Amino acid sequence: MSGIAKKMDTKLPERFKPVIDYQSCRTCKRCVNECSFQALDFRDNRVVPIGGCVACGRCLAVCPVSCIEIRTVPSQFPPHGNWTERMRRAIYAQANSGGVLLSSCGTDVEHPVIFDDLLLDAAQVTNPSIDPLREPVETVTLLGGRPGRLQVSEGEMLRMKGCGNPLVVMDMPLMIGHVSLGSVSYNTQKAFFMAAKELNIVAGSGEGGLHHDFYQYADHICAEVASGRFGVDPQYLKGMAAVEIKIGQGAKPGHGGHLPGEKVTPLISETRMIPVGTDALSPYPHHDIYSIEDLAQLISVLKESVEYSMPVGVKIAAVHNIAAIASGVVRAGADFITIDGFKGGTGSSMRVIRDHAGMPVEVAVAVVDKRLTEEGLRNRVTVCAGGGIRCSADMIKVLALGADVAMVSTAAMVAVGCRVCQQCHRGLCSWGIATQREDLVQRLDPEVGAARIVHLFNAWNEELREVLGAMGIDSVESLVGNRDRLRYQGPNPKIAEIMGVKHVGEGWG
Amino acid sequence: MSHANAAQPLPQPSQVYLAQRPPGLKYMMGGCGIAGCISLDGRLIAGDRIRAMLTIMEERENGLGAGYACYGLFPSRKDQYCLQFFFDDEKAKERAEGMMRFNLDILHDEKVYHHPVADLRPPYPIIWRYFANVLPKSLKSEGPKKGEEDVVIDLVMQINLEVDGAMCISSGKDMAVFKGNGFSYQMADFYDIPRYKGTMWISHSRFPTNSPAWWAGAHPLSILDWGVCHNGEITSYGVNRKLVEMSGYKCTVLTDTEVVAYIWDLLVRKHGLPIQAAAFAMAPWTYDEISRLDPESRKLATWLRFTYREAFLNGPFSILVGRSQPEVTLIALADRKKLRPMIVGQSPDGGIAYCASEECAIRLVEPDAETWATNAGSPMIAKVGKGILRTGTEHPFQGVRL
Amino acid sequence: MQGHGFTAHECDCGQGCTSFEGGTFSIDAGVDGVPMHYRELNCVIRQAIERNVDRIMLRNVTGQRYIAATASKKDLYIGIHGTPGNNLGAFLDGPTLEVFGNAQDMTGNTMNSGKIVVHGNAWDVTGLSARGGKMFIKGSSGYRVGIHMKEYGQRWPSLVIGGTAKDYLGEYMAGGTIVVLGIGSKTPSPVGVSLGAGIHGGKMFIRGKVGQEQLGPGAGIAEMSAEDEKELEGLLGEFVSYFGPVLERGFSCFTKVAPLSSRPFSGKYDKTNL
Repeated sequence: MSGIAKKMDTKLPERFKPVIDYQSCRTCKRCVNECSFQALDFRDNRVVPIGGCVACGRCLAVCPVSCIEIRTVPSQFPPHGNWTERMRRAIYAQANSGGVLLSSCGTDVEHPVIFDDLLLDAAQVTNPSIDPLREPVETVTLLGGRPGRLQVSEGEMLRMKGCGNPLVVMDMPLMIGHVSLGSVSYNTQKAFFMAAKELNIVAGSGEGGLHHDFYQYADHICAEVASGRFGVDPQYLKGMAAVEIKIGQGAKPGHGGHLPGEKVTPLISETRMIPVGTDALSPYPHHDIYSIEDLAQLISVLKESVEYSMPVGVKIAAVHNIAAIASGVVRAGADFITIDGFKGGTGSSMRVIRDHAGMPVEVAVAVVDKRLTEEGLRNRVTVCAGGGIRCSADMIKVLALGADVAMVSTAAMVAVGCRVCQQCHRGLCSWGIATQREDLVQRLDPEVGAARIVHLFNAWNEELREVLGAMGIDSVESLVGNRDRLRYQGPNPKIAEIMGVKHVGEGWG
Repeated sequence: MSHANAAQPLPQPSQVYLAQRPPGLKYMMGGCGIAGCISLDGRLIAGDRIRAMLTIMEERENGLGAGYACYGLFPSRKDQYCLQFFFDDEKAKERAEGMMRFNLDILHDEKVYHHPVADLRPPYPIIWRYFANVLPKSLKSEGPKKGEEDVVIDLVMQINLEVDGAMCISSGKDMAVFKGNGFSYQMADFYDIPRYKGTMWISHSRFPTNSPAWWAGAHPLSILDWGVCHNGEITSYGVNRKLVEMSGYKCTVLTDTEVVAYIWDLLVRKHGLPIQAAAFAMAPWTYDEISRLDPESRKLATWLRFTYREAFLNGPFSILVGRSQPEVTLIALADRKKLRPMIVGQSPDGGIAYCASEECAIRLVEPDAETWATNAGSPMIAKVGKGILRTGTEHPFQGVRL
Repeated sequence: MQGHGFTAHECDCGQGCTSFEGGTFSIDAGVDGVPMHYRELNCVIRQAIERNVDRIMLRNVTGQRYIAATASKKDLYIGIHGTPGNNLGAFLDGPTLEVFGNAQDMTGNTMNSGKIVVHGNAWDVTGLSARGGKMFIKGSSGYRVGIHMKEYGQRWPSLVIGGTAKDYLGEYMAGGTIVVLGIGSKTPSPVGVSLGAGIHGGKMFIRGKVGQEQLGPGAGIAEMSAEDEKELEGLLGEFVSYFGPVLERGFSCFTKVAPLSSRPFSGKYDKTNL
């Protein structure tokens, strides 16, 4: 059948084309050798593009004389406002193959970015701004369950009763999101963990278990327990910073992870505890969770198993009923809750889900924060949020909308070289990130990668401190959920109303 | 004090609101002067003393609100709740009284003494005082067990929210608030503050930044016997408000100070925190400083900060807090960086303690007082008949056991 | 009254609040316990200065603000009994102010030259942005004292505090000298935290311990030089001349705090051409 379908000539035009300045080119062939997508060849003593360029930019980076330019090929389709090139390409591809479209990274559809419609406040006269260079502006962030009240009694001394809850103390309200070994390389994950340790924050393990080399970073790792339970064993539940049950992922709400067998190398096999070469398929739901009380049960069994030594949280994708779901998750006993917005990244997910299911993290966080406050639950839990946080301003806004911790993964990958070319699912990442091919993996030096993430996060944290200082706030917890310090200037005031953010021009009174 | 030469007061807003909340009001802010005094040996302090203390700091106000709270004021009725209201009209008064009778046994009611003051333009609200006990039947509830205090709080919030033109200005035992829209000296004359004697006073004059003139919006803000006078602006208002709303309080006056009063009630009365622990939650040390505490104190400090993250009052403030239950207590607290002033003094005979934004307020009434400044985030705590329990210069916790 | 043109008191209170005797012009700022308004008081002071009075005594001062603000007569002396209000001697340029009591907040704000002597405490934000002149506080001071004191040309401000100082002492400091003697201090260190945060000029001499954790960003502990000792000796001598002998120990118990760099945050910014 597919053979017949392909009889029509529907070869798709190239989207990108490397153009070489032959006058400068020294024919060193580095670009050819480095192009993992095999879009360049060396013929007749010169480098020639042979199609398949994804604009990963590797050739540019390795060219010693900067003689390559990647051009975006002008559209070869007759223009149409509704039948966009993107639409037609998808149709040709699916008509050829009959397959479900796969994609990776966060959605590239130009959805409105609510972050960009929000403006921050600053202090003038009635409250002084603070200079964070010279004065303490704290960004220490604690992650864990909160008791709601403390029992302290007074006598000769103060006595505090109870409160054996475990806590994670982080130096900034940032965590590196869950990126599994398998979706990314050993060196990439190592860079993430090294950076997390250096920054004194937490990095997510992803759902692929933890390589034995990485247990040295355990106290800075949030161990994920997903529906596939890959790599979950007693050791995995010891000495970690935190444990997180993954119900959903922003880029693919309602779907489980899918690591194709060709990526299940011996290293992945060992970490995930599955045979080499088999598909690593995470069931869509947790088959021990068919209802909220089952989630409570899984939370409890994990808490019991970790002997209450670390916070146990739940990650949910931002879907339309997120506020009620979050409330249920808190009532089920989660110490922290992670909300993953629909613009979050993925190593492989179905395009229809990635681009069309879920909701933006901005709104999700705001409605969750509001709902938990209304129900008197907000002081029982720490809220982490991610999925589309691109810069320090986004991080600051997501905190003001109600998150304690901003979860960032794509930006960390970009910091170590990722060009967001959306080819992760092909396993050919030329930067050695989303790949298991040994030669490619070697391209990323974990030490260098870690240092770059440390730089990036420190810079963002510094920018956060500058903004806090300008707002007259000297500790980040007083920004969390402080929507008074945001204003909306976008096209849809209804969104502002739902988020509980005033419109620009409205004062405090 | 001579006002002949004073800077001309700013033009007053054309519309003055009494008990009715100004339309569209969402939040009020401003700077201010505060003063307080407490009898450490039980003697009574007449109102002229607090009047003098507050009015000398006239540079700190702009005529848009001032007030006084007196504690230990009704010794013969000290076990009854004293509810004082502003009403815009008789109709509001009747409706509020109807709601009160449902929960309270009103033993006595009277007009709160006041008289017109030449330069304080009417209209004035109807200002009425009720002495009452909580009816036993109202303690029965289908929900969680309610104490008398909860009944009073719920009633007050219900009246404030539901009765147009009625606003409760104080509701505690053995205390009363006298406040309104005017300069500190005007309010003192209006209520004839010197006629009252009590064991403790707190007072406040406002310099609101951008708020309508509203009688009920003046300080002290009070709930039950808590009275709060506040200088400064709290940059974490949105966060603090969440905490009190989570705990069932309804914000009706819409100032950061109202929220501060609810936080004190929540942390100290409802959650039973010692005053210095509650003060620490509101003005905590930095995590860096906490890390240098002994292990027990560190744990307490960390958990106070983490648990009561929403109680952390960020931004510059100095506050005077009074309460009458279980004993008349004065708390003076400045923010953790001490961005607003707080001077404490004690009379040479040790009988009276004073707090004020400026030392001159203390010197005026007690020229030979010993004075000191409190430390950032460290509360001065004094109780009638017990003396100064904390000077406001101590370590946050003197010994912690887990 | 001869030589100064005073025929009667210049104040309109009608209570005889001023007098001129033996070269000293006296003002009672609180006749019958009623404090004079600061505008009135400062107006009378200014008139006296205009008439070339060089010695003024204020009595019963209770919180009057802005006393001697911008006063620029070099040989003028103003003695103050009571509690002067905020911003005493703001923008002072030359005169000597002596307070027999405590001063409130922001004393010596942006002082250019002159001298302020306080026989008591001077609370928060004392000496803010002083560009020159000397301040001697017998007692303690509060938070944020000596912030952004700076040197310019021949000017070099000095601030000596007999007791203790709280957090943020010498923040943003860009010149001048701060001395804290810690007399009566209950703690080993007479100063708080964030000491010299952002300091990029000037120096502080703290009598007592200074821990690394007390130092703000940009501040460091330095060795005392012979020049420092000489300067300190001069300042202490002057301190003693006002308040009497107070120190029994030598220079060894002083810790010098100085800037690590004159540009402490220059490495903070990314200047990439994006």
